[in-house]
Amino acid sequence: MIARVARRLALIAAVLVAWEAATGGFGGGLRAVDPILVARPSSAVAEIGRYAATGLLTRDLVTTLQAAFAGLALGMVLGVGTGLVLGYLRPIADTVEPLLVALNSLPRIALAPILIIAFGLGITSKIFLAFITVFFVIFFNTYQGVQSVDPDLVRVVTVMGGTRAHLARYVILPSVFSWIFAALRTSVSFALSGAVVGEFVGSTAGLGYRMTIAAGLLDTERVYAILLILMVVAVTLVEVARRVEGRVLRWRPAGVVGA
Amino acid sequence: MRIDIEGLTIRFRGGVEAVRDVGLSVGSGELVAVVGPSGCGKSTMLNAIAGLLPAAEVDIGGTVALDGADIRRADRRALALGYVFQRDALLPWATIAANVELGLRIRGVPAPERARRVAELIGIAGLAGFERYYPHQVSGGMRQRTSLIRTLAYEPRAILMDEPFGALDAQNRMILQSELLRMWERTRTTILFVTHDLAEAITLGQRVVAFSKRPGRVTGVFDVPIPGPRDVFEIRGTSEFTRLEREIWSHLREDFRA
Repeated sequence: MIARVARRLALIAAVLVAWEAATGGFGGGLRAVDPILVARPSSAVAEIGRYAATGLLTRDLVTTLQAAFAGLALGMVLGVGTGLVLGYLRPIADTVEPLLVALNSLPRIALAPILIIAFGLGITSKIFLAFITVFFVIFFNTYQGVQSVDPDLVRVVTVMGGTRAHLARYVILPSVFSWIFAALRTSVSFALSGAVVGEFVGSTAGLGYRMTIAAGLLDTERVYAILLILMVVAVTLVEVARRVEGRVLRWRPAGVVGA
Repeated sequence: MRIDIEGLTIRFRGGVEAVRDVGLSVGSGELVAVVGPSGCGKSTMLNAIAGLLPAAEVDIGGTVALDGADIRRADRRALALGYVFQRDALLPWATIAANVELGLRIRGVPAPERARRVAELIGIAGLAGFERYYPHQVSGGMRQRTSLIRTLAYEPRAILMDEPFGALDAQNRMILQSELLRMWERTRTTILFVTHDLAEAITLGQRVVAFSKRPGRVTGVFDVPIPGPRDVFEIRGTSEFTRLEREIWSHLREDFRA
């Protein structure tokens, strides 16, 4: 266990040292890449400090997270709703399916430009992009969850004299929830990408916005600083989602995914 | 509760005839075992009694009456049937205790009464200490035991059992047969028990009904004059058991070949 952690940390350290050396760190003897093109890790970290000191970091972070979470919440509500409705109204599902499959095959971030045109440079267009990226994941998982409700469990409740409300409470919702929570991790990181990409394309604030500005000015240190921040944010969010999932789905046998 | 089946014929819309002209009665408090080859329509018959066959997919002829009332006109909630499946069919997201409690909740039993009955049954079934485990954390035998007491918990007036011990190994199967007999002797609930294992049918049944292969028909009804309480582990060595096994097998043999 300890050896495993040590090996992993050693690898990360080695990558950072090699990177630092290749970009002119440690006195510049091994410089292979111009630091204007690839920032040195130590300067990227130092840049995070400067970025934070201006007060912009907090503001941008809050803006991006707001868009991501609003989109995630919207995607959850509408995705679960649509999934349940279509799961139970098969004729409608049958009609809508080709349309949904077509929409789903569309790379969602390609919608960013038209969303900016439709909803402007403000947060609404980012919320929409985040929403659209997570909606399908949640929807398909909910739909799948409805389809895969164990018919034997339905029979058990029916024989006991259970009503539709009992079926929903004891069988259908728990079954569907397990699918939704299994999609939570993917959805969280999708929502974050949706928000950031929306900011790339057109915005006035947010981590993605600050990054395009920096890239335009060849301020590679700032770009790398923001990449680092995004990485930390994503890892944190996914880890939180993983714990929520593990807590909610603790009844599931270990190693079974999406069941 | 009595179960009276008369002229029951079940045909799936696809053309398969599951059972043909089945007549069979289970007296109140009786344990009747139905034995027949796999796929002979035994399970379909149980599903018909429980009202689980979708009307759009099957044609059902004949009548099934529970205490004289035709099931087509009966209120399922008032009927209070129990059904134990071959698969334990426990709610995977509910603990052992919550699974046992399910029927009591559905039937609106107040919480203190639920807790008392769950604790009692869990004790009887030897599951004490496992109340808060999830189904996947306990053995197959324990899961099927949970499934059994889940059905007993809400005190159904009749229980249908569809090869409930079929998925268990020989030892666990005998242990559960023995527990089932013990519980039946205490409660005297009407039980219709379906199996493809003749020894199991004789061990448990007061009567054994032999089914042909599909479409299932009743080919014989045999009394099992072995008095209770029966010892599942000893009964197989008795001459009465051997005699019955030989007699019923001679009826079944042709249908088990194929």
